[in-house]
Amino acid sequence: MCWRSAIAMLKAHIIKRRREFTVNVALELEQGSSLGLFGASGTGKSTVLACIAGIEEPDDGQVDLNGDRFFPPSLPLHRRSVGYLTQEPGLFPHLRVSENICFGIPRNGIHDPEQVRWIETLRDRLKLGPLWHAPASHISGGQARRVALARMLARKPRLVLLDEPFAGLDRDLVRELINDLVDWAHTLGFSMIAVDHQAEVLKRLCPSRVVVLEKGEIVQSGSWSELYNSPATALLRSLLAPL
Amino acid sequence: MSLHRQWLARIGAALFAVFLLYPFTALFTRIGPWEWTQEIRSPALASVRVSLLLTSLAMVVIVALGTPVALYIIRCTTRERLVWQAVLLIPILLPPLALGILLTLAFGPYTYVGTSLEHYGIVMTNSATAFIVTQVYVGMGYYVLGAVAALDSVPVILQKQAALLGLTPAKVFLRVTLPLARLGLAVALTIAWVRAIGEFGAVVVTAYYPSGMPVQLWVNLQSFGLPAVMPLLIVFLAVALPLPWLVHVLAQRHRHA
Repeated sequence: MCWRSAIAMLKAHIIKRRREFTVNVALELEQGSSLGLFGASGTGKSTVLACIAGIEEPDDGQVDLNGDRFFPPSLPLHRRSVGYLTQEPGLFPHLRVSENICFGIPRNGIHDPEQVRWIETLRDRLKLGPLWHAPASHISGGQARRVALARMLARKPRLVLLDEPFAGLDRDLVRELINDLVDWAHTLGFSMIAVDHQAEVLKRLCPSRVVVLEKGEIVQSGSWSELYNSPATALLRSLLAPL
Repeated sequence: MSLHRQWLARIGAALFAVFLLYPFTALFTRIGPWEWTQEIRSPALASVRVSLLLTSLAMVVIVALGTPVALYIIRCTTRERLVWQAVLLIPILLPPLALGILLTLAFGPYTYVGTSLEHYGIVMTNSATAFIVTQVYVGMGYYVLGAVAALDSVPVILQKQAALLGLTPAKVFLRVTLPLARLGLAVALTIAWVRAIGEFGAVVVTAYYPSGMPVQLWVNLQSFGLPAVMPLLIVFLAVALPLPWLVHVLAQRHRHA
């Protein structure tokens, strides 16, 4: 069920001036591949994702996805086809779980058999059946993250941006959600950039490639084995060291 | 909260309500039999119609103009916001009588604007248009300031999430911003309505005719004394209260409660 077969690239050069330092990061990503952004808290990882999604606007640089110019000028968010998931599920509290999940599906597509099957798949795989008619404001934090994941994937975005979406959840649930996400990334063919300061989680989500940020700059880029074998900085070494 | 404290809070709230409603005990003051003769009733009922219809039209104008302005203001920088707040406060800070005088001078027949409008058949003194315009000036600041607070309370990230899910800005407003801000917007509209329908000082200068309820109360007091005021006061409460109260009921009716 792949809706985009052409290999395309995300090219992003984000320059964002912050009080402490300037985030200056250039990334490239093939369609269907994944990339982990690793580093300590406050190194600019989330800023990079927010700038690609359009939640924040870069001060300078350029972002292109599949030939669409995201910045500059800033492309309106509704034309980006980007999924963005953070620690804060951001569900619409005035809607039910089902309404949240189907929120981004156009009215004329809501009865499309393939769309219905996809929503049912999401509902069943993420165990959302019992919550389906519950108000979004009445469900637990873990349930809300699952709903937010389903809502993001319901529209089948071409690029998925994950900003520590599983922080604070129990290990079993995190493992399940990561497995589902990786599985869907393969079957649906979406690209994925994930941010986490937990190497273990990030390695599972994005096993092939990782980029390390420190104070807004890329200090190392490559495979996880390279990272473990020869960490570029002392801070990175301490981040990778077991507790 | 313990049971003891709960009762203390209730008693405090009840005392507050008594304080707030105490002036209405004056309705039972012995002032002789109330007068509701044909001579009084006819203009009184006409004033009710004028007040309800023209204030409703003023509210439509206020919401139609004020909501986009409020949406613009919440996206402004702090400095720009402060300027906007001052702009909105000026008309509502003025004593209503002074506002009425300014409106008459600004839109009256002695100004370019007034004569230009009259050229197109829009008379800005003692007309329905003058009544509506005055009420718009009286209520706009209250509505926009309230609407800014209400719209500001909707988390920006929810609106951005909705946009990332493919919704155009207009749809984000209708499906996310408006439902989440509805209670605050209802309060803003209610305050504007209450302020406008009860307006006397400005309206008495700009639109003595057609007389709304507050002006008619004044006329009754001058012409017939207190016995002709009391029944109109009851009518005023009966017709002015339900609409804002209904707006509150609708706004507070949670779909999933």
